[in-house]
Amino acid sequence: MVTVLDMPETTSPITLNQPAPAPEPEVERGMIEIDRLGFAYGNHQVLHDVSLSIPARAVTAFIGPSGCGKTTLLRCLNRMNDLIDSARITGGAIRIEGVDINAPSVDVVDLRRRVGMVFQKSNPFPKSIYDNVAYGLRIAGVTKRALIDEAVERSLRSAALWDEVKDRLHVSGYGLSGGQQQRLCIARALAVEPEIVLMDEPCSALDPIATAKVEELIRQLKQQYTIVIVTHNMQQAGRCSDHTAFFYLGRLIEFDLTTKIFSNPGQRQTEEYITGRFG
Amino acid sequence: MEGVADPRILIPARSTSRRTQVVVEQGIKAFFGGNALVAVVVLALITIFLFREGFGFFGQNLANLRLYRQAGLEYVDIIRGVSMEHESLSRKLSEIRLREVRTMEKRNVPLEEINAKLAPFDQFASSFSDTAETLHSLVSDLTEKASALKEKLFAQAELLAQRSQLERAGAQAEAARIVVPEVDRTAALASLHQGAATYESVSADMTAKLYSLFAAAPPLPDPAAQKNFEQWKTRTREYLAALPAASEKLRTWSSEAEIPWYRSLSSFLFGREWITASFWQDWYGIIPLLVGSIMVSIVALVIAVPLGVSSAIYVSEIASRHEKRLIKPYIEFISAIPSVVLGFFGIAVVGQAVRAASQSHFFKWVSFFPISERLNIFTAGCLLALMAVPTIFTLSEDALRNVPRGFKEASYALGANRLQTIGRVLVPASLSGIVSAILLGLGRVIGETMVVLLCAGNRIAIPDFTQGLGAIFQPVHTMTGIIAQEMGEVVRGSTHYRALFMVGLVLFTITLGINYLAQKLVTRFRMSIG
Amino acid sequence: MEDRGLRIEEHRGGSPSAILHSPSLRRRGRLLEKTLFWLFRLATYFVLACATYIFLDIGIKGGRTVFTSKAPFINVPFLTEPPQTLYVFDFEGKKQTLSDRQFREWKVTHPGVSVEASSIAYSAGGIWPCIVGTALLVVGSMILALGIGVSSAIYLSEYSRNGRWIRLVRIAILNLAGVPSIVFGLFGFGLFVIFFGWNVSLIAGWFTLGLMVLPAIITASEESLRAVPQGLREGSLALGASKWQTIRKNVLPYAMPGILTSSILGIARVAGETAPIMFTAAYAMKDEMPWQVQRMTDFFFQGVMALPYHIYVVSSKIPQNEYTARVQYGSAFVFLFLVMLIALTSIVLRERSRSRLSW
Repeated sequence: MVTVLDMPETTSPITLNQPAPAPEPEVERGMIEIDRLGFAYGNHQVLHDVSLSIPARAVTAFIGPSGCGKTTLLRCLNRMNDLIDSARITGGAIRIEGVDINAPSVDVVDLRRRVGMVFQKSNPFPKSIYDNVAYGLRIAGVTKRALIDEAVERSLRSAALWDEVKDRLHVSGYGLSGGQQQRLCIARALAVEPEIVLMDEPCSALDPIATAKVEELIRQLKQQYTIVIVTHNMQQAGRCSDHTAFFYLGRLIEFDLTTKIFSNPGQRQTEEYITGRFG
Repeated sequence: MEGVADPRILIPARSTSRRTQVVVEQGIKAFFGGNALVAVVVLALITIFLFREGFGFFGQNLANLRLYRQAGLEYVDIIRGVSMEHESLSRKLSEIRLREVRTMEKRNVPLEEINAKLAPFDQFASSFSDTAETLHSLVSDLTEKASALKEKLFAQAELLAQRSQLERAGAQAEAARIVVPEVDRTAALASLHQGAATYESVSADMTAKLYSLFAAAPPLPDPAAQKNFEQWKTRTREYLAALPAASEKLRTWSSEAEIPWYRSLSSFLFGREWITASFWQDWYGIIPLLVGSIMVSIVALVIAVPLGVSSAIYVSEIASRHEKRLIKPYIEFISAIPSVVLGFFGIAVVGQAVRAASQSHFFKWVSFFPISERLNIFTAGCLLALMAVPTIFTLSEDALRNVPRGFKEASYALGANRLQTIGRVLVPASLSGIVSAILLGLGRVIGETMVVLLCAGNRIAIPDFTQGLGAIFQPVHTMTGIIAQEMGEVVRGSTHYRALFMVGLVLFTITLGINYLAQKLVTRFRMSIG
Repeated sequence: MEDRGLRIEEHRGGSPSAILHSPSLRRRGRLLEKTLFWLFRLATYFVLACATYIFLDIGIKGGRTVFTSKAPFINVPFLTEPPQTLYVFDFEGKKQTLSDRQFREWKVTHPGVSVEASSIAYSAGGIWPCIVGTALLVVGSMILALGIGVSSAIYLSEYSRNGRWIRLVRIAILNLAGVPSIVFGLFGFGLFVIFFGWNVSLIAGWFTLGLMVLPAIITASEESLRAVPQGLREGSLALGASKWQTIRKNVLPYAMPGILTSSILGIARVAGETAPIMFTAAYAMKDEMPWQVQRMTDFFFQGVMALPYHIYVVSSKIPQNEYTARVQYGSAFVFLFLVMLIALTSIVLRERSRSRLSW
């Protein structure tokens, strides 16, 4: 586990014009290394030969038209695809901090605890807000009430939800608004202290105000977490990511700093997509 | 918005207990998987045990059939057949008389006058039945001889089996102590064979007597009766003409002729008689039971299908929401009525009611009414229909409801009314679903035990189909009924016991087949509606 | 529709629009529709009427046995006594009907009097041992069936992937559901009673009945498990919960009400079946109550009296007359009442949960 007490403080919200200083992907080895990954559902090849290096403590956005395989790739990162019957990896590997996550020796449960996930549709459990956040800790065997209390508060604060719910921690999570539910899911994911947080279109079901809150949150979280976000929304990718990967038909077309992709894309397809000519 | 708080190490990255947890995890999965296999295991065990207990039937039945031949029972039955046919002709005569009496009674002829008028006919009938007297005594004589021989042979076989069992167990001394009496089969059979000669003289005698009797046959006053009587005469002539054939059979019959192994199977599958615990010969033919089961099921389905399908259409398409909310649970509720209660209701109420209805003036025009047995195919069928309706209703309603909305909307949009939409769109689209519902209903009916055991009348006989529809008012026995009734009383391991397991096996196969068909249709239904 | 319009046009030589708008055709259609709808309605209500008649007949005639006009309004002896033989005889010009025990007492009080009594089996006393036996059979077999059934369903819905084995399991479950109850009886007799040597016993009945309702329980449980949204599983797994933790904490609790509700209908079926217990668990007559056993193990290996079997016996083995109607209708009423109560509970619970459950 990486503790980040020595992180440099960011003082102001990051804007599009002023991207956070991110380490150059070519220079530093990424936290997540995807190496010539191929993936298929049954006979349908979804990902072809994807190689990608995702840097630590930064936000990486996956963009691309529907069906290009970005969500599939995201779900590969914590092996959520194991749940789908016909899904299989057809080649290549994914390494997190140098460890091949599909190796037989890797415990998938452990992996998922380190690689948290926030889903497209918010999916709080039909439990109280408190129990939702505490769920992961209890699962992991944390029993001390004080520790859980503290972790719940910290996670809810991290997810910028604390002030809104601190008086009603023990009512059902279903009573929250859509944006609050999604932030609750983020808090739930943060409570187990993951190193990486995967977000699968976390704002697709939210209104603009809720979206703004979640985006703000994402920018804050990257101080401590490695974040990978799948999004359909170009502006969102531009606003809150440091790196962007563009996928098309199961292939990685381009991967670079977000600023570069949006201002001066290297590939014609990327440019066409970003400028809205297709997709 | 507050700043992001520092995470602390709360959970150790990889605890050692994780490893044991993984083992536990796999154990749990294996446990659940094992439980899931129970269904497969049970199905396999059912098959195995039906075979295990039932399959010995063929060997035992073959021995039973061989004994039938070796002891000369078969030989005697040839002559018995001739004598039985004579008896049935005699019965026919009294039937003709009965009809004659009835028509005369209708014309208000006094009884004495009827008797007087029929005196010559009675004379004729009694002389006719007298002609077979020597034949009957021959049969009973031979029967005694053959069954004595059979008993001896049977006892011998038992002792032999006992001895070989002891020998196999290693108790040679004890085995040697068992004395197996010699049975002089040749002598006994020879004395049986003398029957052939007697038969020939008896039949020649009978033929002569009967021909002379025919010459003096009295006319009957009623033309219809006279016509029947003429028919009877032709039948009797045919009977007489067939007498030498039996004699030929007797001469060629040999007790040593081998009975092929498949006879054991064919006498079970195609045997028309189920006679058990008889002093003479046990027959295990499944046909009467099978026919009984099928007849009862047909009657039940004929009643249940229209009711079930129309109520499914009514509830899914026509009924108001309030009706629907009431009717659906109520019909499901019906399916929970225990079959034994329905059976009891059949005995206590329905059977009585059916018989009363058949005696009523209203149904006088029906030729086969009034009926004599209150418990019959129809009574059981009515009650089984009530059991099948919920099954057919629920599944058909499901099928109708699952037809995509688009079909219905498209039909209405073209200006079709509700009936047209139901008849041309909904029912065709859900047809395979409805048919599979009917098949599952059939499966339920054919496998039902208590209702048929209590209400079908339990007479082991193929119904007399010459009566036409009247056949459904005759009592029958069924495959399920016979198992339930006789299983408790048979000796374990006996031929009868194994025969019951074989009946179970046939029943099991039939229901599996029905189930398979129903599932096929359901799959097709799912595919057709996408 | 179009097809038909064209055909009519050919025959009558009119324009299609004239036919499509013909009021007489439409009127005839409406009449046919109405008639047929009434037929459908009639069929539906006929079925309901038949069932209602059965309920009323058994309710009214059985009610005469079970209820009394005086307090406590329930015929307590009928529900709490074992069945006895009934003796009917004429004494001093009056018809006497006495139960076995009463008859013996009567003989003591009337020494030297010899009467010609006709005896009718089972027709006196009550049905208490049958109720107890049925309850024991139901409880045991349901515990067994729920244990195996829910576990199977968990495996099928949570762990399994579609493979050849799972297809086999599913086919087996479907086919098992269609096996006639009497065949289950034969199977239980062959396996448990003879092969395992358990004889006619409670435990043989438990296994036979339990395995018989298994398909229903599995199907119902799997349905309830599948109704739990996938998001709850994914959310839990993504937090690093193991599969079993996810199932135990986040799937089963939400599926359990559904599982139990559907299983109640299974209880009704178990309680209502006669054929499987005829030669595996039921005795026509037994003097001791099930708990009157020497050793604990004897408890499991004893046969019991059961209500459905008792009804079979009293409706087929003894004649139908004024003396037997009491116990026949009484037993049928009590049994029907119990089974219907269970079924009603299940149906009401399900209707309620259907309207309430929404993920």
